[in-house]
Amino acid sequence: MSVRYALLGLLAQQPRHGYELRAAFEALVGGRDTWEVKPGQVYATLERLEEAGLIAEVGVEKEGGPEKRIYALTPAGREALQEWFHTGVVGDHHRDEFFVKLMVGLLVEGTDLHRLIQVQRNTLYQELHRFTRQRMEADSQTELAYVLFLDKVVMHLEADLRWLDMVEARLEEIQRQPTPQPEPKPRGRPRAKREA
Amino acid sequence: MPIIQTENLTKIYGTGETAVVALDHINMAVEKGEFLAVMGPSGCGKSTLLHLVGGLDRPTEGRVLLDGRDLTALEDDNLAALRRRRIGFVFQFYNLIPVLTALENAALPLLLDGVRPAEAHRHAAEWLQRLGMGDRLHHRPDQLSGGQQQRVAIARALVAEPDLILADEPTGNLDSRAGDEIAALLRRISSEWGRTILLVTHDPRIAAHADRILFMKDGRIIDETRLAGTGEEQAQALRERMETL
Repeated sequence: MSVRYALLGLLAQQPRHGYELRAAFEALVGGRDTWEVKPGQVYATLERLEEAGLIAEVGVEKEGGPEKRIYALTPAGREALQEWFHTGVVGDHHRDEFFVKLMVGLLVEGTDLHRLIQVQRNTLYQELHRFTRQRMEADSQTELAYVLFLDKVVMHLEADLRWLDMVEARLEEIQRQPTPQPEPKPRGRPRAKREA
Repeated sequence: MPIIQTENLTKIYGTGETAVVALDHINMAVEKGEFLAVMGPSGCGKSTLLHLVGGLDRPTEGRVLLDGRDLTALEDDNLAALRRRRIGFVFQFYNLIPVLTALENAALPLLLDGVRPAEAHRHAAEWLQRLGMGDRLHHRPDQLSGGQQQRVAIARALVAEPDLILADEPTGNLDSRAGDEIAALLRRISSEWGRTILLVTHDPRIAAHADRILFMKDGRIIDETRLAGTGEEQAQALRERMETL
């Protein structure tokens, strides 16, 4: 989703071809190491955007190599972009692998839950160290947007670590509670409705 | 040989039924040039550990070795002299002298050690400059922000050129931005100037600057994480060190 709208935004800035778009997107989000997009994804997205009437081909660049089709934003594309700007983004807090691991650890007898938490804590600290280093090396005079992005990552890791401390402190209490069970459902085929 | 090594280091406050075990047979080592953070909830013994390593307090049992030399066997006078020359302390509340300027505060350990004032001031000014305080040499503590006061305290800790810096919650009294700056400074003191740092903190963001973290609970070390253990990162650090030398 983000790539689709980022491409629209980059085309709102100026008409470009696919190769240029890919490089511009990666530069925008902090480099290829941060968020790599495959050329195939860029071209497939451009195709879909063109089919939807949000962008249109405005020319072809021929310089030695193969032809490069240049795209520009259509009025409908501009509208779609504005709509995206004015819609809030909700993060996905569910489907957290560590949370699932913790829950399964509670189910499986003999799991060393303290160790499980420690290993996770170590991993998060290693991440935090890595991003802290990147944050120190980034130049806030010229790369402020990237610095702010790194700040966000650091703050989230910090929150995850604090949460782990909380889980560990309450581990015995959690272990005393029943594990979540599926809600009982009637077996077999649903019965025909009783006559009214 | 590690710069610091503890053997069964134990500290018990009080006696009999009211005795509190603050440190329970700690065996740990700090390598020369390492930046080590100690974390844990309040009351876990992390500050006690720092005080014993720095010779500010005597253990109930066990030993502290500084470069293989037993600190706990030293007479008070010898211990004080060793502490002044080999160890720099940084505390949460800076402990600067209010009537002295930044320069005078930073030069104090050298003056106490009998260095001539001109020489002491020149050296203190050098460290203050390196720590970004070059334009505040003649300010008194009350004319400085918390982060700036802590920089002066760090300059004071470094002025006698000790190998080991002990820092007890150095960012505990600072807002998160100033705290980050002090942590980044400690990182440089380790990476660029090769000092060994033992840092006690409860703040994950501060600890994340270290090479290794020890986790303590109830007077014991319960876990350890190596943060900068990758060969590549160490090789890079070494290359950077070679360039500055």
